Parts: sequence; structure tokens; C-alpha cells
Amino acid sequence: MTQLMVGAFYNPHLGADLARSDGIDHLAMADPPAASDPWWPAIRGRYTLLLHDYLGQLSEPLDERSIQRARALAELYRSPWVAEHFQCLHTEDGSYNLNYVFPPLYTEEFLDRFVRNACALKARLDQPLVMENIPGFFDVKASQMPEPIWLRRFFEATGAGFLLDLPHVWLQAHYHHMPAERWLDEFPLEHVMELHVAGVADDADLAGPWIAPAEPSDEMLAFAAHAVSRCPRARAITFDAFSPTLTADVLFRSVERIRGAI
Amino acid sequence: MPSDRALQDDVIRALADAPYRGSADWRRRELADPDRVERYARFLARHFYYERIVHFFKYSRALARVTGRAPEAILKGPAFDALLPTLVLGSRETAAAVGRLVTAYVAAGRMPIPYLADLLRYEEAMMVVEAGARVWRDADEAEGAGSPKGVPAGPRERYRPETVAGTVLLELAYDLPAVLPKLLQPWTEVPQALERPTRLLVARSPHGRVAVARSDASVAAVIERADGRRTLEELAAGAGLQVAELRQTLQGLVDLGAVRFSTGS
Repeated sequence: MTQLMVGAFYNPHLGADLARSDGIDHLAMADPPAASDPWWPAIRGRYTLLLHDYLGQLSEPLDERSIQRARALAELYRSPWVAEHFQCLHTEDGSYNLNYVFPPLYTEEFLDRFVRNACALKARLDQPLVMENIPGFFDVKASQMPEPIWLRRFFEATGAGFLLDLPHVWLQAHYHHMPAERWLDEFPLEHVMELHVAGVADDADLAGPWIAPAEPSDEMLAFAAHAVSRCPRARAITFDAFSPTLTADVLFRSVERIRGAI
Repeated sequence: MPSDRALQDDVIRALADAPYRGSADWRRRELADPDRVERYARFLARHFYYERIVHFFKYSRALARVTGRAPEAILKGPAFDALLPTLVLGSRETAAAVGRLVTAYVAAGRMPIPYLADLLRYEEAMMVVEAGARVWRDADEAEGAGSPKGVPAGPRERYRPETVAGTVLLELAYDLPAVLPKLLQPWTEVPQALERPTRLLVARSPHGRVAVARSDASVAAVIERADGRRTLEELAAGAGLQVAELRQTLQGLVDLGAVRFSTGS
């Protein structure tokens, strides 16, 4: 396996710290840089940047405006790959929008939609496309197959890379009362190009854990080490926290601990 | 038999629309565990409005160290919990209801700031204007007479300007645009705003981008009269403008998302 890059998300409020720091190999970009961000030139000059913005939901074809935006951002960042999510978060007519990643039904129809639209997007990008798994807090009875099977068929049909979000896998396993390692084994790990690691925290509404801009626990780091050993094509591992409440201490310590764990 | 895409839309609606989630229509479908759906919907609601409050009330947020009132704190209070059974994520009514909670909470802060009432009206207007259904992807074909892209060059009789629903004109007592950038920079004493009548236009593009522009009496007249029925000539006469001036004003309003053109057939 090639040397893994270890990085984090670019949090603009930590721009000064990140512009000066050592020990971070790359930064994922969730939003375009603000015109007023004084640290952006230094950040762009210093880091490998990964495009990880909202480009659109691939249950529908991306329109030309979205494709041009994706191309422009990938060029601006000189991103080695372009990431999107397995998400379907707004209704087709635009009337309802969750504003939060939400998985599609795991059905033949949605598989066909995602394969077709991902292939169309791939053909318009100059970089590989990677797709990130999204957790569901509840199962929808209309789904026809388990998520890992659906993902495997997607990756085999499209040749896209897999962005394996480990807390998402961990949460799915947690809410299905299953050991995380066993659930992970079901996923098509041979397609993984990048991994996400983050902390989880209890949420009062969910009455249980959910993704949080927090340090990964020792358990999550051990899970990450286990996952990395199963992903022969992985090139990067990213501390997945993007929030105005994230502190520099948490970001740097998390990256350091991830590096130590793998 | 609905398509899978239609089923997905139904699940999304149930998560976004609390009254629908409570309806017999949704419950009889038994698509998912109702307790889990309810809990996740509440989580999403708090997340949805956290993002909007932090963004649209960022100036009040910058003042929180003197007011003692961080706008997003309302999301953990009983008043927001009481709204949960009525919330429809992204609707104007819900944005207005949440906006009212925020403004009432921040306005009761411990330090009086002369322009705080204006600031809260401005921030609330931004949040409400942003709400509503949006265009997520452009149509593959040309958008035709209803195109929001510019003042049509065709026969004048055919196209009639129409103020986009949700566009807001704000009459303020203080010159807020001059003080807003200062609030986001480091300060030790609260930046002050000049007391000067200020009129602002707040509008949203079909894709959801909110824009603000200073306005004047002629712009206000156009916004108030553009009803999709008046021709350019009628509108120009009512606003006290030459047609050429009106076209220029309209171009700016179309760019902001405040005005669109409908076919006046």
C-alpha cells in the first residue's frame, strides 16, 4: 500500500493555525474559499486540497451549471479527485429539502439512477469521482437490498472510487446492534480511495450517538486502523470535522492521533 | 404503484413537514418506524435552523458578548420545542416563526444597542426571504417567457414585470449597511450606526441566493406596482420613470431576483 496522506477539513476560522501548521498532508474543502479569507492563498499554496463540496444529488442528472461549478472548483483546488455523497435530500420538485445528507432508497431504480448520473458526471470531470456512504437512522421498508450490496454494484458499474466514512459505518452498525467490524466487512473495500474518521457524540433528539465535530474515541481509532488494513488502494485519511465550533486543539490532536493509530 | 423516486420524496416530506408526518396519509403507509422518524425529524429541524440562524443572524451573534444572547440558543429552549409539531422545514411560515423567536430572545439582551431593533428586522427578513421552494437544477430547455435572466427584448406588450413572491422592502431608521462589516471585525466598543432613514431591498434568486441592495423611492414604486399585469409603459408612468430608466432599474431588480417577467397574454 502507498503511504497514506493524513489530513483534515479546511475550517476557515482556523485558517491562521492551518496556514502555519506542520503534520497535516491535505485539506478537504467543504465550501469555496470566501473572497475575504486572508489565509486562502497560503492554504492553497501549501496543501493538497480535496474537493468535497455539495455538487448535487445524483438521483437526478447534474445540470450544466453544477457541472461547470464542479470543474471550476476542482481546477481551483488542483484536487486529485472529486467527492460526492450517496444522498437524496430534496424532493424532485424542490418543495422539500432536508439540508442534511440523507441516503436514497437502496433499490434497483435508484441504483440505475445513480449509476447513470455518476457516469455522466465522471465523463465531464478531469479527475476521478469518489462517492461517500451516508448513514440512515431508520430503515425504509421500500429498500430492496442492503446498503453494502447496493454500493458494490454501484462501484462495479461506474468505476468510481469509494470514500469510506467510518463513523457512518459505525453508526449504522450501532443502530442495528451489530459489531462495526462485521458490518464493515460487507462493504466493497477494494474500491476505497479515501477514508473519513471523526468523533461521535450523544444527541438528545436521537437519544443516542451521531456525527459530531469531536475527537475520535480510541474505539473509533482502532476501527480506523482495522479499516485501513482492509483498504489496499486507499490514498488518504481525513479527520471529518467542519464546524465553526471546532477548535484548533481538537483538529490538530485528532490528526496526530489518527496518524499514530494507523 | 408509485416509483421509488416518489417513495423517497414521501419520506423526505415526512421528515421535513411535521403536520404531514402526523397525518393518517403518512402513517398508513408504514414505511418506517414512526418513533425513529420522529426523532430524526426533530434532529433535522434543529440542524436546519441552526445553520440558518448562525448564517442570517451572524451580526447579532457577533454582538452576543455584550447582549449575552447568542441567537442559536433558542433552539434548545421550550419555545422551539413547542413549534416542532408545526414546523415545515424551508417554508416561509416556519422561517418567520423561528425568526420571531430569535428576535424576541436577542432583543431582551442585557445591553441596549440603539440599532438592535433594525438589525433584528434585517436579519429576520433575510431568513424569511431565503425560505421557499427553490430551483435545484436548471431545466434542460430554455426557460421561455418566465425566464428570470433579463429584461426581455421582445414586444413590450407581451412581457409584464412581476415582483417575485417573498421580496421584501425594509424601511430602517439606521444606516445598517455601513455598520454590518464592522460587527464582524475585531472590536472592543460596540460599533455604532448612523441614524439615517435607510431603505433596503431583500430578494432571492430562484436558486436560493439572498441579495440585499439599497433602494430608493423609484425602486420601491416599481416593486410595489409590478404585479405581472401592468405593461412596461404603465409601470413607468406609475413609478414616475421614463421607459428607458425603468428598463435599467428592472435589469438590476431581475439580477437581484426581485422581479421576473411573466407573459401578459
